[in-house]
Amino acid sequence: MCPSSELCPLTLVFGGSASGKSAVAEDLAAAGPGPRFYIAAMEPYGAEGARRIARHRQMRADKGFETVERYTGLKDLRLPARGTALLECLGNAIANEMFSSAGVGPEGALEAVLQGIEALRRQCSRLIVVGNDVFADGAAQYEPSTQQWIAIMAQAHRRLAQQADRVCEAVCGLALWRKGAAE
Amino acid sequence: MILIIGGFAAGKRDYVRSLGYQDQDFTREIGDGKPVLWGLQDLVYQNPEEAMELLPGLLEKQAVICDEVGCGVTPVDPRQRLAREQTGRLCAALAAQAQKVVRVCCGLPAVIKE
Repeated sequence: MCPSSELCPLTLVFGGSASGKSAVAEDLAAAGPGPRFYIAAMEPYGAEGARRIARHRQMRADKGFETVERYTGLKDLRLPARGTALLECLGNAIANEMFSSAGVGPEGALEAVLQGIEALRRQCSRLIVVGNDVFADGAAQYEPSTQQWIAIMAQAHRRLAQQADRVCEAVCGLALWRKGAAE
Repeated sequence: MILIIGGFAAGKRDYVRSLGYQDQDFTREIGDGKPVLWGLQDLVYQNPEEAMELLPGLLEKQAVICDEVGCGVTPVDPRQRLAREQTGRLCAALAAQAQKVVRVCCGLPAVIKE
């Protein structure tokens, strides 16, 4: 897929754990033009993780998504065709860049992920990014590397919310629009 | 008084700057006459037992900024638990008397009381 000079519309969907943000994001992506790609940033851990991922992959295939696994180096990913992409999720993408041996490390993680998202916007007609609300539980109680991850996550969410055409908070599986509007 | 709440590093001070306040207007102390207090949660965590006594001084401010800290698992440590509880109670008391309450998420302000 040849990257264009234009950035496609970006939607940021964020929410707490089990807020229904994935389902909200999948519905938004399913409404976009095909082909549809699901870019998974979560590395599978162990047999249980592999089973969960296999199940989700099948569920998404039924909804017409092709799954692309990408843990680090998002900006070098080339999608096979221009369509709608859903990136899930910022928490994993940033943690992988910060802590995985293949990542750029904590100093460059924010820019690596933001540049990756920009590169995806040049290859899509529409991009949906799933974020994670990890900011309201008293950040000071965690060990330093977790606090650093939370701080980078906060910067990523602010920057993306500013760039995004639409931002929605998922609450109990409902989309609460914080910027832009439902289509 | 305007109360501004939101998660860690949500863009709360940037929002207050957008109202026209300058860096020199911001303070972390209550009695120094500056109009904008930020980091209220830290004052509560320093002395959670007496947190509610901060209320009259806070109501003198033009803007008060506090992190939301109550959304995780209840802390095992009793003092942490009390501080988290008091932060929430104090914000509720402030919100009840505030002219305006704004919640900032990902840098986006939402007015939740006006």
